[in-house]
This record gives sequence, structure tokens and C-alpha cells, in this order.
Amino acid sequence: MRGRRDIWTGVLALAFAVVAVFLVWPLFSVFTASFTDNRTGEVTLANYLKVLGHPYYLRALLNSIIVGIGGMIGAMLLGVPLAFLTSRYLVRGRDVIATLSVLALVSPPFIGAYAWIMMLGRNGWLREAMAEIGIELPSIYGLFGILLVFSLKFYPFVFLLTSSALAAINPSVEEAAENLGAGAWRRFFTVTLPLVFPAVSSGALLAFVLSLADFGTPSIVGGDFRVLATTAYNLFTSEMGGNPGLASTVSIVLIIVSMVVVAIQRRAVRRRNVEGSLVKRMAPRRLGPVSSVLAHLLCYGIVLASSLPSLVVIHTSFRKTSGPVFQPGFGLESYRRILHEVPHVITNSFVYSSLAVALIVILGTLIGYILTRREGVLSGALDSMLLVPYVVPGIVMGLGFVVTFNSPPLLLTGTATIIVLMLFIRRLPYAVRSSASILKQIRGSTEEAAISLGAAPGWAFLKVTLPLMLPGIMAGALMSFVTAINELSSSLILYVGRTMTMPVRIYLSVLDGEFGTAAALSTILLATTGIAVFLVFRYSGRKEGAFV
Amino acid sequence: MALVELRRLCKSYPGVRALDDIGLTIGSGEFFTLLGPSGCGKTTLLRTIAGFNRQDSGEISVGGRPLDGVPAHRRDIGMVFQDYAIFPHLSVAGNVAFGLRNRRRPRAEIAQRVARALELVRLGGLGERMPHELSGGQQQRVGLARAMVISPQILLMDEPLSNLDAKLRIELREDIRDLQRSLGITTVYVTHDQEEALVVSDRICVMQGGKVHQVGTPWEVYVRPATLFVASFVGAMNLLSGLAVEAGGTVRLAGAPLQVPALAGLDNVTAAIRPEDVMVDPAAPGDGVVLGATVEKITFAGREAFYRTALADGTSLAVLIQRPTPELLGREGHAVRLVLPRGKLLFYDADGRLLGEPA
Ligand SMILES: Nc1ncnc2c1ncn2[C@@H]1O[C@H](COP(=O)(O)OP(=O)(O)O)[C@@H](O)[C@H]1O
Ligand SMILES: [Mg+2]
Repeated sequence: MRGRRDIWTGVLALAFAVVAVFLVWPLFSVFTASFTDNRTGEVTLANYLKVLGHPYYLRALLNSIIVGIGGMIGAMLLGVPLAFLTSRYLVRGRDVIATLSVLALVSPPFIGAYAWIMMLGRNGWLREAMAEIGIELPSIYGLFGILLVFSLKFYPFVFLLTSSALAAINPSVEEAAENLGAGAWRRFFTVTLPLVFPAVSSGALLAFVLSLADFGTPSIVGGDFRVLATTAYNLFTSEMGGNPGLASTVSIVLIIVSMVVVAIQRRAVRRRNVEGSLVKRMAPRRLGPVSSVLAHLLCYGIVLASSLPSLVVIHTSFRKTSGPVFQPGFGLESYRRILHEVPHVITNSFVYSSLAVALIVILGTLIGYILTRREGVLSGALDSMLLVPYVVPGIVMGLGFVVTFNSPPLLLTGTATIIVLMLFIRRLPYAVRSSASILKQIRGSTEEAAISLGAAPGWAFLKVTLPLMLPGIMAGALMSFVTAINELSSSLILYVGRTMTMPVRIYLSVLDGEFGTAAALSTILLATTGIAVFLVFRYSGRKEGAFV
Repeated sequence: MALVELRRLCKSYPGVRALDDIGLTIGSGEFFTLLGPSGCGKTTLLRTIAGFNRQDSGEISVGGRPLDGVPAHRRDIGMVFQDYAIFPHLSVAGNVAFGLRNRRRPRAEIAQRVARALELVRLGGLGERMPHELSGGQQQRVGLARAMVISPQILLMDEPLSNLDAKLRIELREDIRDLQRSLGITTVYVTHDQEEALVVSDRICVMQGGKVHQVGTPWEVYVRPATLFVASFVGAMNLLSGLAVEAGGTVRLAGAPLQVPALAGLDNVTAAIRPEDVMVDPAAPGDGVVLGATVEKITFAGREAFYRTALADGTSLAVLIQRPTPELLGREGHAVRLVLPRGKLLFYDADGRLLGEPA
């Protein structure tokens, strides 16, 4: 609405300023660094020639794409059958399955990676147990391990999106197919699957992007299998003085690959059919005894395998240790050690995440409001800029922050502020999206009614819209908190000893073989995450869709 | 003193002219209705008056004071919404009190005015209810009370009844009309239902494609529709189109000549007559065109019935039968004599504009 100036004009200006300084500027720095010679400071294409011409880097690029596609396929192979079985057939404990997969979704991937090392690593107990009965399991290190972790980590996206799409299909359509003589398999491939394809593909592409961007997993279980994210990190932090120019170039390549995938994903999402508010729900069918057993085995097999890492980590955290060595029996030594040695890591994590969430909630809600209720050129531009964090991996954002804020006027490196701001800007778009989607469900006329009764626009928002948004905002805030407190990659680039967070400490402990303390810290993270998820269920009336 | 004046209002959306040079004057205390098909710009006009969107050009003034630059919340214009727009988190009384609180009225006054407003809309005693405990009709009554309690200069209503079922619609429209009369609030009412418009309004403005076609009392709009569009939109109308005008202003209605001096000099016109104005086998034909016709189909609707008749040249003409009898209802396939009284025939030029009354 042109020509109208009120409190929202100010909010729009603030939003632009924040996005310009903390998003556009750092990325621009990465961009210019990628064209700069480290020593002379001259503009050069040398970095690109090197990255695109050298087998070492091309290998990393290829590996990244392999990991992305592999993670995507794995997530589909687990997610689609799970969604179909649980929504069309009588599978007991659907809620348990949904809850376990949500927990798998929100727990950080690096915890999964290192739990699998404890099971299938060189001295992993599962590997040794299987070896005793004569089964040789493949080594967890390398591509196999990465794909295992990603598949079990990202299938919930496919599962949850597909489930809700399945629920939205008008049952009569499938009944009509059956009435026309299509058997169960035929019905699935000719009617059901095409109808849910948009949902499946958007879940799958989400898995692709996240697999591509993940740093912790390939870094922990990758072994010699290098991907772009780990390569950029190593280039930047190398013992021999680092190479920011080359690291930036690798980052730009990584961004371009994710942009392509996200562009494909958004196209898929745009065509996604709107979820209908169907009164009529399809009653799940009963399966024959053999099929029923197989279906249950498959469903519970998937969700238990994906929860296994958490259980292993919790169990490990209570094992008796002396120093880094495990002893038989149980004890609280690991917890004692973290409380004794790194208590500030725990408080840092909670304080930084809470601060970031406070900022995210305030600005995210306001921007979400502008995007839905004040459509215009400027808010459209803001909307597009807020897509950027979706395609920029944490490693790259971290790099951008370091190269941008390491000199006055904004000398922030080494401070807690820079970590809070990083968490804030990376998660802001998610909060904006969620607040916008809540607002779409609240009719604009409600607020106009308030204005026609004499409430100024800002006041109308506070008195009418905000109270209606509150449950959704609470759920969104908790989700932001979960992702913030589990953030590894960008914190790893930005932390200094004083500002270390739990994920960073866990990562370093795992590299040092300190599995006990890593497990104790991970358990604290998992417990926090679990409580937050429980609260989200309460606020959003138990809708698993809230997590995707 | 709420004399509303709209001058040369224009507003375009990409691809549509939602308001095309609208000029209207609405009198103090008047019940003024905007009537037109969906998409004709009624909501846009109403929201422009309310200040929720801005016109591209033109101005609005109330009581001689221009509204331009006055933000929506300072316009003192009450609004009743099609989708009720009740605040779901406030009680009925909380909803009604909202505007008074914004005006910082004393507590006691608020309580008293809220109670009185709820009485007026027949919701006395339901103040503590939450909106989800009310039916659709009751929710819209809350919307009405909420908008009226602030005694706004102007009350705007955008299809307030269209989400209700037929019976409630009639009940509530009577109440709205009575309340408006007794409180004397200048009201701009929007509807696409021509019957509703005729029943409640002091004056009606018929719109189409962002343009005003006619402004007049319900009687004027019904009896002398200014354009062919109004003629066919308001009530049922028989149209005999593409009539060639002969020398001296003579047209032939299904072969029967009729001389209308006002038509002299025109090429071609459309004649129009309401089904209730066509007489069937009258004792005395009076001054009119007499036509032979065959009854093709009879529809019985209780209080009245309709004939669909075919004239000699095949044109079909609807006729209203005021007091159907078994005898009148048994005439399907029969030949009848129709009389179109000269005074009831309307003529429209090629652009659809009403021509001077036939002499
Ligand atoms: N916000 C908008 N953006 C684009 N076009 C609009 C918008 N609002 C209304 N229109 C268009 O303007 C015309 C008039 O709409 P409206 O005033 O809502 O009609 P009515 O209320 O008479 O049904 C329609 O063609 C409609 O599509
Ligand atoms: Mg409308």
C-alpha cells in the first residue's frame, strides 16, 4: 500500500538494515575474497581456475553431489514407505512413530555421526558383536557412514511432508481407482504416488540441500572422503596459515550447487497442491497377519534405527570412565568432568541461543507481518533476500562473518555477540516463514475491524493480531531455540575458548576420542531438544507438520 | 452533518479498473446501497472510504472536510465485515467495548453503552460469551453492535448478510434497517442481492465494471432502469433487442408496429418490459401493443406463476401471473393474446441508455 507511513515503515527500514549488514555484506565479502589474491590483494581468477581445474577440488565437488543425491535417495527410501504404511494401513503406535521421527529430525546430525562410530567404528560394539557371529559389517568411515547418517537423519522430512499430503488426498479418489479395478500396488503407483509426488520431491530436495550443507557428519565419519564443506573449512583453518581466498571460492561453488537444488525444490513446492480441509478421513485398512508383521517390522525398524544414536549416546554418558577410558559399570564421571572442566560451555550455549531466539522472535514476527499484510515492491525484495540463508551453508556464513567483522567499525570476532548474531541471521528466515504462515490463517479483516474502531495500526497489531499469533510464535521460538542450540558449523569457525558452545565442544571431544564427555554434553543437548519438542507439541496441538 | 461526497474517484489494480471515475453524494442519515455483481468494485469503493486502500485519484470528503491524509483509525467510520471479523480472543462484551476503549471513555460509560448496544442487536445477556459459542447470525450481530456503539459518522457494511442462510438473512436485514432508522446513522451498504437492496435502501447506486450506472430510489431504479445493465440486473426483465427503427420512429414488436416519436432518427433499439406488466387476455386492451403468443411452459411458485410464451417470430417472453388458478395453470400449449401497455415499455439505445418515455 503505497503512500502510507506508519510504524511498519520503520520496521521495514530496520529489517533492511539488519539484512544488509548481517547477511548481504558478509556474503559479499566472501564473494570478493573469492576473486582476491591472498598475498597481493589484487583481483584474480586464479582461485576459480584452481578449484575448477584441480582434481583435488573437483573430487570434493563430485563427492558433495554424491552425498547430496545419496542422502536424498536414502531419505526417500525410508520416508515414503513409512508414510504410506502408517497412513493407509493399521499400524499400531502411529504417534510413537511420528514422535520418534520428529526427535530424530531435531537432534543434531553430528551426534548421530559419532554414535554410529561407537557402534560401527574401529572398536564399535555392534561391529565386534557381529564379527563374533561371522558377519563382517562395512566400515563406518567414508561414504557409507555419511549416507547412513544422512538417510536416518533426513528421512523424517520426506515422511512428514508425504504423510500430510496423503492425509489431504480425497479418499474417494483412491476408492474410485479401486472401484475401477486397480489393485493395491497399481493404485499406489498410478494414483497415490503421483498425487503426493510434489510433497515427496520437496522433502527429498530438502534432504539434498541439508546433506550438501552439513559439515559435522562428513568431518566426523568421512575419513578421507572430502566434500566441499569440509574442504572449505580445512582451507580456512589450515595449520599453515589458511587460505581465505581459496576457501571463499570453494564456498561460492557450494552456494551455487545449493542454489540450483533449492531453485528446483521451490519449483516443486510451488506446484504442491494446497492441503484441503477434508472432513472425511480415510479409515486405515487392516493388513493380513504376515503383511502386518512385516509392516510393523519395517516401520519400527526405521524409527528405532534413527533413534539408536540418541540411545547409544545417553547410555554412553552414564558409563563409568576413568579419564577418557571406559570402565565396566555405570557412573556419573562424565557429567562430573564437564561440570568441572567446561561449565561455561553449557551456559554459553543456553545464553547465546536464548538471546538469538529473542531477536529472532521479535524481528521474525514483525517481518512476517510485513510480508503478509504489506505486499509491495520493498517487502517483495525483503522476502527474496530472506531466501538467501536457506542456500548458504553454516560454514560459508561463518566464513563471511569472520572476514567481514574482523576490523573496525564492526570488530566482532572473538566476541559472544558475533555468535549470537550468526545464530540470529541463520534462523531468522525460518521464523519469518512461520510467522507469515500463521498470519495467513488469521483474516486481515480482524485487524481492519480494530482499525475502523479507532485503534492505530501498531496498537491494532498488539491488541488483536499478536494475541492470536502467540501459540504459533511460541512453537516457532522453541524450534528456533532447538536449531540454535544445536548449531555446529558456523560456531566452529567463530568460537574462541571463552565463547565455546556445546556442539563445538562435542565435536572437539569426538576428534580427541573423549567419548564420555562428548556423550554427557550430547545428552544435555538431546534432553533440551526433547523438552522443547514436547512443548511444541503442546503449543501446536500436536501437529508433526510444524517441524518441517 | 455527515454529508459524504466522492469526487472523480479512480483506482486501478494490475489489469482492472476497479473504480472508474466514481462521483456520488450521500446525504446525512441516508441508507445508501452499492449494488452490483461480484467484481464490480463495491468492496474497493467501501474500503477506500474506510481508508484501507488509497484511491489513485479523486477525493472523498465528509461534512465538507476532505478525508485525504486522515488514517483509517482516525476517520470515525464504523465497519461491518462480510466475514464478521470478530476478535476471537475477546468476549462478546470485549468486542463491543473495543472501540470505546480506544476512545478512552470512562469505564462506567463503556459498560452502560455496551449493554445497551447488545440489547439493541438482541444479544442482551450474552456479553460474557466467547465468539466461538455464537452462531453465525449472532456473530454478525456482535459485528453490528461493535460498529454502532462508537456512534460513527458513517457506518459501512460489506455484504454483512451473505454468509448467513436465507431465513436469518431476512430477519437480520429487517433489524439492520430498523436500527439504522432509529439511530439515524449515515450508512453505506454493499450487496450483490438486488432484492435486499430494494428492501433496505433509501437510495441505490447500481455499479458495474467500476462505473456507476444509476443512482436513485428503489422505485426509480426498478421502474425506470437507466441502462440495459440495470434493467437486467435489478428484477426480471424481458428484452426485445435489435429492433430496427423505421421512418417517423416506428418499431415492429414481433411484427406489430408501434410508433414512438422519441425513437425517430435512431438506427436500432432494444425494448424492455417487466413480466408483471404484460397482460394476458385482458378484457380491455387499452393503449398498447397486442400480440399473439403460445404458452410454452408454466412454472408455479405458490403466490405467483410464470408463463414462458413464444411470440409469432419465435421470440420468447416471460409473463407473471399474479393470482394463479387451476384454470390459468392448465394452459400449456394454448394460444393467448398478450398486451404490452405502451406506458410500461422502455426503450434503450444501442449503447444501452434509456430513451425518453414513449409518448
Ligand atoms: N488487492 C487487489 N489486487 C488486485 N485486484 C484486486 C484487488 N482487490 C480487488 N481487485 C479487483 O478489483 C475488482 C473489484 O473488486 P471488488 O471491489 O472486490 O469487487 P466486489 O466487492 O464488487 O465484488 C475485481 O476485478 C478484483 O479482482
Ligand atoms: Mg466484495
